[in-house]
Amino acid sequence: MEVVLHLPVVPNVELVAAKAVETLGGALGMHQTHIEAASVAMVEACLNAMEHGGGPFTVRLRSDNQESRPCLVIEVEDHGEGFDPATAPKNSASRVHGSTMKRGWGLTLIRELMDEVQIRSGPGMTQVSMRKYVERAP
Amino acid sequence: MNEERIKISQDLLSDGFGLIAASGYINNEGGQAIADAANKLMGQGCKTLLIDLDGTRIINSIGVSILLEILEKLMDEKGQLAFCNLTPTISKTFEIMGLVQYASVYSDREAAQSAIAGDASV
Repeated sequence: MEVVLHLPVVPNVELVAAKAVETLGGALGMHQTHIEAASVAMVEACLNAMEHGGGPFTVRLRSDNQESRPCLVIEVEDHGEGFDPATAPKNSASRVHGSTMKRGWGLTLIRELMDEVQIRSGPGMTQVSMRKYVERAP
Repeated sequence: MNEERIKISQDLLSDGFGLIAASGYINNEGGQAIADAANKLMGQGCKTLLIDLDGTRIINSIGVSILLEILEKLMDEKGQLAFCNLTPTISKTFEIMGLVQYASVYSDREAAQSAIAGDASV
């Protein structure tokens, strides 16, 4: 089961990708709370791709059964300048409270809401790959 | 995607206590619509705002950042912000982004109104 979306940069297109998460997550029997968490992570990954990717981007969703643990795999790929994931700042409430700069939460939310996250990035390509297991890890 | 368009209603429940009900996608537009409603109620003297998110299932960090600005504006006015009817994911997102450290969260509107009325009578 795989879905591939080639998305243009237009307002609210991230909701198309979120709808795909809802559909595939439901088909996998994923709990509604997990679907909603993956949907928010998907939205954030799409917003990052639109903001930093500089053009159309690609979303791939598929089911996987790694070590007999079914999960939803999401990949969001853009073709921007790239960045070093190791030095990307982790945002925190204490940093933004009282500050005029309240943006920059995307990667922090993705890491907190998904079970596994991998980021590969270089000039011309950034790929955020994330997994949400159907059942919570033991 | 029309069903995700934010729907807002606002009500002055009692002296200084305002209610905003918001359902739909809280993105930059949704967050700003809530901020506009909050500013209107604050202009009417509200220092306690309850935001009921029943019917809201999807948010993004830009929209939540605008809610943070509402919170800080209310705190500057010595007011308070409360939320109710949050999904577990929205609740967790608010926790990560620091909203629940300074705002109150209630299970539903009745619980919120009861608790806020109790606070006001102390």
